[in-house]
Amino acid sequence: MPTETAFRVLGADPSGALERALSLSPDETIGLVESAALRGRGGAGFPLGEKMRATRTAAELAGGAAYLVANAYDADPASPLSQTLLRRSPELVVDGILIAARAVGARQAYLYLRPEAADARSAAERAIASRDGRTDVSIEIALGPGGFMGGEESALLAVLENKRAMARQRPPWPAEQGRAMRPTLVSCAETLAALPLIVRDGPDSFGGREGSRGTKLVSVTGAVVEPGVYEVSLGTTLGEIVQTAGGVTHALKAIHVGGPTCGILSSTRTGVRYDYEDLRAAGTYMGSGQVRAIPEGTCIVAEAARLFEYLSKETCAICVPCRVGTKRVGGILESVSSGLGRDDDLAWLGQLADHLSDFSLCGFGITSASIVRTTLAEFPDDYRTHIVDRRCPEGTCTPVRARRYETMAQP
Amino acid sequence: MSILERYVQSTESQIPTVSHHGEIPSGMPTCTIEIDGQEVTAAIGESILRAAQRAGYNIPTLCDDEKLAPAAACRMCLVEIEGFERPMPSCHLPVQPGMKIKATSDGLFTKRRQNLEYILSDHNAYCMPPCQVGCPTHIDIPGFLELEAKGQHIEAARVLKETLPFPYALGLVCPAPCQEVCRRGLVEEEIAIRQCHGYFGELSAEMEKAPTPFPQAPATGKRVAVVGAGPAGMTCAYYSSLKGHQVTVFDMMPKQGGMLRYGIPEYRLPKVKLDKELNCVWQLGAEFKGGMMLGRDFTVDDLFAQGYDAVFLGLGAWRSNELRIPGEDLPGVIEAISYLNQNASGDPVPVGKGSRVVVIGGGFTTFDCSRTSRRLGADVTVVYRRSRKEMGAHYSEVDDAEHEGIRLEFFAAPVKVVEKDGRVGGVEFQRMALGEPDASGRRRPVPIEGSDFVIECDTVIPAIGQVPNLDWYEGSPGLRKTRRETIVASGALMTDRPGVFAGGDCQMGAVTVIQSVAQGKLAAKAIDQYLSGADMARVAAEITEEESVPELIDIVPYKPEEPQVRMPFLPFDQRVQSFQLIENGYAKPQAEKEAARCLQCVCPDVGRCHLQRLSLEHGLTDNRFHRAEPRDFHDYEYDFSHDFILRDLNKCINCTQCVRICRDVIGANCYGLMGVGYDSIVTTPWNVSLQYTDCVSCGACAETCPTGALMMRERDLETWELDITRCIYCGDCVEVCPHAALGETPNFELSVYQRFGRTVVAKEELAVARTWKPSEAIPTDGEERRGRVRPPEVRPPAPPRWGA
Repeated sequence: MPTETAFRVLGADPSGALERALSLSPDETIGLVESAALRGRGGAGFPLGEKMRATRTAAELAGGAAYLVANAYDADPASPLSQTLLRRSPELVVDGILIAARAVGARQAYLYLRPEAADARSAAERAIASRDGRTDVSIEIALGPGGFMGGEESALLAVLENKRAMARQRPPWPAEQGRAMRPTLVSCAETLAALPLIVRDGPDSFGGREGSRGTKLVSVTGAVVEPGVYEVSLGTTLGEIVQTAGGVTHALKAIHVGGPTCGILSSTRTGVRYDYEDLRAAGTYMGSGQVRAIPEGTCIVAEAARLFEYLSKETCAICVPCRVGTKRVGGILESVSSGLGRDDDLAWLGQLADHLSDFSLCGFGITSASIVRTTLAEFPDDYRTHIVDRRCPEGTCTPVRARRYETMAQP
Repeated sequence: MSILERYVQSTESQIPTVSHHGEIPSGMPTCTIEIDGQEVTAAIGESILRAAQRAGYNIPTLCDDEKLAPAAACRMCLVEIEGFERPMPSCHLPVQPGMKIKATSDGLFTKRRQNLEYILSDHNAYCMPPCQVGCPTHIDIPGFLELEAKGQHIEAARVLKETLPFPYALGLVCPAPCQEVCRRGLVEEEIAIRQCHGYFGELSAEMEKAPTPFPQAPATGKRVAVVGAGPAGMTCAYYSSLKGHQVTVFDMMPKQGGMLRYGIPEYRLPKVKLDKELNCVWQLGAEFKGGMMLGRDFTVDDLFAQGYDAVFLGLGAWRSNELRIPGEDLPGVIEAISYLNQNASGDPVPVGKGSRVVVIGGGFTTFDCSRTSRRLGADVTVVYRRSRKEMGAHYSEVDDAEHEGIRLEFFAAPVKVVEKDGRVGGVEFQRMALGEPDASGRRRPVPIEGSDFVIECDTVIPAIGQVPNLDWYEGSPGLRKTRRETIVASGALMTDRPGVFAGGDCQMGAVTVIQSVAQGKLAAKAIDQYLSGADMARVAAEITEEESVPELIDIVPYKPEEPQVRMPFLPFDQRVQSFQLIENGYAKPQAEKEAARCLQCVCPDVGRCHLQRLSLEHGLTDNRFHRAEPRDFHDYEYDFSHDFILRDLNKCINCTQCVRICRDVIGANCYGLMGVGYDSIVTTPWNVSLQYTDCVSCGACAETCPTGALMMRERDLETWELDITRCIYCGDCVEVCPHAALGETPNFELSVYQRFGRTVVAKEELAVARTWKPSEAIPTDGEERRGRVRPPEVRPPAPPRWGA
């Protein structure tokens, strides 16, 4: 069990943090972040200190200022983590932005929001106004285009350049070439919110075990008594997270961890710890921070098909594996759920998942392979019943297509 | 060279978009990287892809243009790099000293192939028309059918005559390999292509002067002797005359046509109409010398001595193969070719009412002999040693023969001719069974012991193939022949003796008429090149390259079913005792209706399309993502609205090259991605016509498009009346013409044409002038140009020129 600490970002009061930060040199600030081993809360878990140092170095090399983008976009609509944080502790986020911007040498920072997040926006505006004149960093609120891809790290840079929200191949990372080809620190608002507390209370206040310290906001949804956004210590098990939301309302069949592009674990995996490494080992990702309890009586094949249907409507369409691949994988899953499956479909899905994760351009396609992989590994019976017995294991699937993909050879 | 300069160059000298062979500029800092275990020198800062291409590695890519910033969109150029978790796009990653790269591996190949399968699964378009590939002379079948369906008959005849001078004759006698592969057959029934071009042949044969595919070139002063007035020779004479050479056609028979006249019976091809059609050769100024036989009346040396610059030998194959069985020399055993010959010439033949005839063989000649005999009133049996399936003749002809009352006997080989009263009394046969396939792929017949039987008859016609008659060969130094008694010729159809060309049956052994026509066409091309002093090895290589056409087939869109328009046939009961033509030919409405069934399954970008090339390289001949719900695929409308750029979004692969070139190089910024998710498509803002964007008609997007999604349209120039009283000869029109169509005219100034009482060159002339180059004079035949119709919008381009 991780050490429980008093560290909390939700509702935290950052008073005194900015004053302390202003008394530190950039290197001292980055040093504090590094010793706290703060990792990105946006899903990938990249160490923030390293990213800040890279941005600062790149900016010094290139000459001139860097940019900072605080990603409060909440791409997954079912996981409004940043909006909750902004509503509850807007000053914390704003102070985090100011501290990080100072440390990396950015004069211009963006708080990147969903267009419909009106409450979060007004809270942020008030907080920004209250910090006016305290530093030489100006914070601008930028609105994304809506949709899932708008929150992707490189796509949001394109949005800030008035372009379509399209992923960009990395490397070069935004720390080297970000907005307008300038070094840019792109970080999740939740990550930045931890900065004032680390700076004020010292890295030890962060708590937690090695590799995954601190807390994480999660959005617990699905068949739980009280769905909502909760803050849990990293390392809490999935079962405990579900309990935090009041426990399940129905018997649990599966837990979908990480949002639309991430994998579905079986209910036997409630002991999996919610941190970066353990989730990777279980086959899924932290993703958007959503933990969804899937009750008994849900067909996992239909669930996977539904996810890919969503993904194929949200992909930015720049790369072939993601644009066509999500559609085709979804089509195969649909035909399985519609009773048109064949024995070799499962091996085929496995190949296509490998292709998705190896050849896709950004995390969207790369992580979406985990849906296929986890469901194939953890719910083989759901697939088998559909393919062999030609019926839905839960009796819920209705055919959604009459024709499946067929091979057509050249005459 | 500046970036913009590249656009004003001719296509041939443009730098290939994808393969880059430039050297590293001197003075540029370099480093060494390792690709597939080989050390490669790369300029610091360039992409891995560029370095690999320079070193000769063929990393596939569909979205790379050296002028543009990389997009890493197509995901074809991904390579494995040491230290990277997953494959990285080589177009996007700059080289680092000491990088270890794997550009080819089985894993990468499979995944690239998967990528291509994905792309093709959303590439709702046709590629090569299989009919054109299947046709030996590669008629632009979708092209002429489109014109036919529109009722533009003369223009359709022109398109046909580009590759086939005798569409009427071939319309009756061709075995139509094109129809066997027609993609309409996947919907319900193939197009009656043969009957359709027969209609045009009849139409143009009836015209006072048959239309030509392009205006005849001015006289070159060169003389070409064509020996043999059969399909190969006449075709060669036709195209040589069109090229402006003075052609003389020699033939041993008194009349023109060769096997078309003296081999193919009247009921299949009426000779009066054949003559009308063949007259198109004489209309071009060629002359005919009948009754002149090579070896008897003249030799090849004589021809050169008489001042001919080149000789084409299209002698045909007039000697029937012998059965090599006892009794073959008995009276009553007659030679198939001379039998047909005599019948065609009106000479008496040894078959008549009451004769009992056995014809041995299964080819076209077999059925010509048997059906002729049947018409002469004989009782006919055809005996073949294999089954109906293996017969060389077209199945329709076998069926017809059976319906006309000819008995067919299969699996029987002749053993000896039985003698009765000093002449033929019957033929003894042995039963055969089919064994292993032989070299031709047909199963070899194996005799069954003790199964002999006799068919009684009074006439035996062995029709088991023909060989050329090379009796004149000894007197012609410099030529070589094969063991099969055919003349040896190179890829350019030139024999070992320079200036002597050979084609058709005498070069290939007995083949179909259309194969002979194809050879005559190629020979005319080679002769023209020879006479202009070209390197014949290069010409041979060029012809070989043009003849090897890649084939790739994509999705067949749904079409409502509509059966073939049936050819009106002579009823079977009227065929006995009558040599009347059995195929009566389409009338205009029938021809147009049938032509409209054509799916037009051809992409104008074939041969230039990189998607096609990569798919062939990756062996992608089938696709696992077909035939699902309509929502799995996209079906967009063609955009014909722009005058110069044709947009077909069905072929777009979202590589965004056009977006980048239009935005970053041209500056017009006409394209962008529209929509989100799978339905995203590269198009203009709000998908309006290009006309309403800032498009400057530069064509850069069409040039960089890796597929046929953006194409230069066929030139659609119009003849404008020039108001001479208001023209100030400023030349602005010449300057601004985006296709340099006016600038390409030799006399440059538009006004020149008006001064000399001519109009501006008509669009049709430019469109049909395939070989016309800007440096040449404008072809004009001085005839009226008004009322001529446009060429088809979509037609196959010149032969492929990959990796130039």
